[in-house]
Amino acid sequence: MNGRALHFYLAGINNQNFLMRDKETGSWWQQITGKAIYGPLQGAVLKLVLSDELTFGQWRTESPSGELLAPVAKYTKEYESDWEPKVAKMPVVISFPGTELKSRDIVIGLTIDGGDRAYPWEAFAKQSPVVDRVNGTPLLLVLGPDGKSFRVFLSRIDGHDAEFFLQADAKDWILVDATTASQWNFQGCATSGPAQGKCLARIPALKDYWFDWRNYHPDTTIYKH
Amino acid sequence: MPAPPPYFSQPLDRRSSPWLWVAFLLCAITAAAFFFVPAFIIRPFGHQAPRALLAAMAFRQRAPMPTLVAAVACFLLTLVLWRTASRWGKTLLGFALIIVTFSAVMARLNYFEWMFHPIPDAQFMAQSESKLDAKEMIMAVRIGDNDRAYPISEMAYHHVLNDVIDGVPIAVTY
Repeated sequence: MNGRALHFYLAGINNQNFLMRDKETGSWWQQITGKAIYGPLQGAVLKLVLSDELTFGQWRTESPSGELLAPVAKYTKEYESDWEPKVAKMPVVISFPGTELKSRDIVIGLTIDGGDRAYPWEAFAKQSPVVDRVNGTPLLLVLGPDGKSFRVFLSRIDGHDAEFFLQADAKDWILVDATTASQWNFQGCATSGPAQGKCLARIPALKDYWFDWRNYHPDTTIYKH
Repeated sequence: MPAPPPYFSQPLDRRSSPWLWVAFLLCAITAAAFFFVPAFIIRPFGHQAPRALLAAMAFRQRAPMPTLVAAVACFLLTLVLWRTASRWGKTLLGFALIIVTFSAVMARLNYFEWMFHPIPDAQFMAQSESKLDAKEMIMAVRIGDNDRAYPISEMAYHHVLNDVIDGVPIAVTY
């Protein structure tokens, strides 16, 4: 923040989205928004670093030289790989009745041009690749070859809106665009065809519970198709 | 034996001023409030209303000094009140001092990190050393030519990690 490195620690919880404070100023930051909600830096927003939620297998093929956070020996017993079904059963403290989604439904949430939209995970996974528009901006949401990883791209090639589909007869996972018929990989880069070497722009997106996304994005729309 | 001087034979005023008791209670309540009010509001599985949350953060932010001052004041008042206090009074003083001390200590400790321990000194390893299953989820970041992955099973426990990639300080959260 303003050229100064801040160090964060877990300091509380706000409707099941955690609060952290920085050691340098003691300000309070909301996890989901990266915004300081109290303290000397109130109003400041951390810059979002693009990140992916991938399977270890997918990431390994894409980034073979990448390194992994090592488990801390003292706490390995506390790590749970099957925590998701447990958390899904936990109570929620806020709910938004009147929408078709349940509190702990998983959505992909994104914000573009000031518009927020939630994509229910189940519908997305069934339909992938999903091409959609938010405030006129064409988006491409794709489920990875592993059926678990996902990415969101700006659906434009050289400034022109594009349509994508999965090559049905292929053994491997190949995305094809309707305009140039180039083949694209899950990283959003054309591997063959006229567009070879080009990559789609990435759009940051968050996999979240519906109640949490809705709480911090009250004007969000829900994708329907 | 000569009679003791008159002021020794006079019974001492056995009771301290009730105002000292009021002062003691006020400082005990102050110390307790600065810890317990935010702790109650910011509790897991509780609903946080926006204004209550703001009050909780304001209390917690300021808590170290007032809890200390109030605790010291409570101890000093106890020195005055103890000798003349009844059995009930002493019980109250003792009980309040425990609460007050507890509040002053807790206002300085981050008990959230007792539940979810931070990683003070993150270590990284090559993919070949990892025992992670191929299907397990990770969060991946690329800065410059550096790729780093943070297994979600680990981050769902630690929640926050301060890391530096290629000179860029980042906070990884889950």
